[in-house]
Parts: sequence; C-alpha cells; structure tokens
Amino acid sequence: MPAITPAIALVVLTAGVAAGGVGALLGIGGGVFLVPLLHLALGFQLRTAAAISLATVIATSSSVSAARSGTHLINLRLGMVLEVATVAGSLLGGFTAHLFSEPVLQRLFSAVAVLAGVAVLGRLNRRNVVLDPSADPGRLGGRFHEAESGGTVTYRIKRLPVALVASFAAGNVSSLLGIGGGIIKVPVLNAWCGMPVRAAAATSAFMIGVTAAGGAIIYFGRGELSPLAAAPAVLGVQLGSWAGLRLAHHTPARWLKILLVAVLFGVAVLMVMRSVR
Amino acid sequence: MTAVSVDRLERILGRLLGIGVSASSVCLAAGLLMTLAGGNNAVARALLAAGIGVLLATPVVRVAVSSVGYAMRRDWLFVTLTLVVFGELLASIVAALT
Repeated sequence: MPAITPAIALVVLTAGVAAGGVGALLGIGGGVFLVPLLHLALGFQLRTAAAISLATVIATSSSVSAARSGTHLINLRLGMVLEVATVAGSLLGGFTAHLFSEPVLQRLFSAVAVLAGVAVLGRLNRRNVVLDPSADPGRLGGRFHEAESGGTVTYRIKRLPVALVASFAAGNVSSLLGIGGGIIKVPVLNAWCGMPVRAAAATSAFMIGVTAAGGAIIYFGRGELSPLAAAPAVLGVQLGSWAGLRLAHHTPARWLKILLVAVLFGVAVLMVMRSVR
Repeated sequence: MTAVSVDRLERILGRLLGIGVSASSVCLAAGLLMTLAGGNNAVARALLAAGIGVLLATPVVRVAVSSVGYAMRRDWLFVTLTLVVFGELLASIVAALT
C-alpha cells in the first residue's frame, strides 16, 4: 500500500467524489471505477483496493438512502426481499472465487455488463410506468411522484426470480471485485423487472450497503481494510453523492439510461483489460 | 403498540442511515486531518477505526431496525426476511472474527 501522503489522500478523495456522484445518479456504488483506479493507477494491492471500495459503497448507500427517504423512490419491500439473495450471494462468494479464476470471473462480468447495456439500450424510449395513479401496483410494486412527468407514476414488478438471481450474482462477486453490485441490479430491474429507472436506482442504492457490508466486515476483521486509506475515499464519496443527488432530480430518465449504458460498456472494457493483465 | 406506517419506517431508516454516515465521516475527517498534520498518534488511529466501525455497523443496524419495524406492523413475512438478512450479516461478523 502506498503511504497516505496529503497528495495521495487528495487523489483518493477526488476518485471518491466521482464514485459518489455516479452512485447518487445511477444507484451504483462506483466501486467498479474505484478499484481499478486504486489498484492500477495508485498501486494499492487488489484486496486493499477492494476493501476500500466496499467501504465507499456503504457510504454511498447510506447517504443516498438518507437523502431519498420520504420520496417513495426506494421500494423497501422489494429491497428487503432482494437483500436476502444478495447477502446470501456475498456469503457464498468465497466458494465462487474457488470455482472460477479471477480473469474468468471478470470476463463473465463483462459479458453480463454488455448484455445488460444492450437490454437497457433497447428500451430507451419505453417507460415502465402506468400513468393511471389509481392502478394497483401489486404486492411488490410501488408508486412515486415524478417531477419529470409532473405526476404520480405506478409500476409493477415482473419476473421476480430474475431480480433474485441478479441480486445473488451481484452479492456473489461483491467482495472479490470490491463492488456493491448496483451495476448489475439497476439494469436488470429496469430492463427485465418492470421498474422505472429512478426507482431501480434508489432501491439499488438502498441495497448495496447491505451487499457490501458482509465483505467489508470480513476485510476489516482480517486487518485488510485500512481506515487511513479508506478515510479520504469515504469523505470524497459524501461530497460526490451530495452533488449527484442534486443533479439526478433534474436529469430526464432517458439520459439516466444513456449514462447507465455508457457506464456498463465502459466497465465491460475495464474488466476485460484487467482480466488480460 | 401503535402501527408503524411504511412511510414512517422509511423515514426512520433514512434518519438512521444519515446519522451513521455523518458520525462516521466526522470521525474519519478528524482522524485523517490529525494523521496528515502531524504523525501517527493513538487518538487519530482510534478516530479512524471508530469511523470505519460506525460505517460498517450502520447497514447491520438498519436491517435490525427494519425487522423491529415490521414486527410492530405484524408483517411476519418481512420480519422473517429481514431476520434472515440479519443472520447472514452476523455470519460475516463471525467469519471476520475467526
């Protein structure tokens, strides 16, 4: 691990700002960018980078959920159902790491990211909302007030098993790759499970804290999570998510989806690059 | 026992997460500044460790509070689901300590 000088702390803080901003906009923790930056650019060991990244995912999750509470964007019921799968996945992560080598897992992850990106792209102009405010959202659906359309929107959840499998998979690769898995959950919830992109982002942001907690606790217990190195990253994330939340409110759903697709394709390329190193 | 509305539960959880992440950030910022300013003293190390400890504990406490909230609403399916998640997180803590 490089010594934490003021200069390194500033770079890590800036990276945290970017991760927190994207996290607040798209409901993903931003660990997918932070890990390669810490590992490849700053020379942190992969495990140290993953541990720091998991800590920032928890910070993004807590601060974004705190700011969003009361808006009905977070679907608590769906979140708690999917958390069972995502934390189970995280507990069994060590087992998966044993079965697949890291490069194989990274290539698999790239393939999933590309697939999810294409699915979101195909639905760019379709919206998962029932505009009739009296429509029944079902047991797991929800409704919220949306500034973009100026009305209350209602949605239902389709294909719950797909969401459960995606959440399990996201938890499963969480501690190994240092991510909260929002990058898998948000596109799957939006493209296949009938959730509007804003609600998918808010619910994912709510869940990733619990997904990351399992792995982060284990890293911390084993002394692999350095509080001094994590501090600037966590503080940066706070600043970034504060800015991202203000931006998210004014960004049309279409642009959120385009940003999500760009991030998915970018991540796919990054992961392939990491796997061939 | 009064029924806790879903809205109220959402706000309680939101406040809890906000307090956790703010308390953690204050500790981390103080610890980081002290370390960068002048060396490696015990107070700075304790503040940094406390910051990370609070950060990691926040989601675990959130799950426990959700479980209590659903119990007060007598929503036993969700009490079960949140308890399973809580148990899974406890298993991580046990794994971390062994």
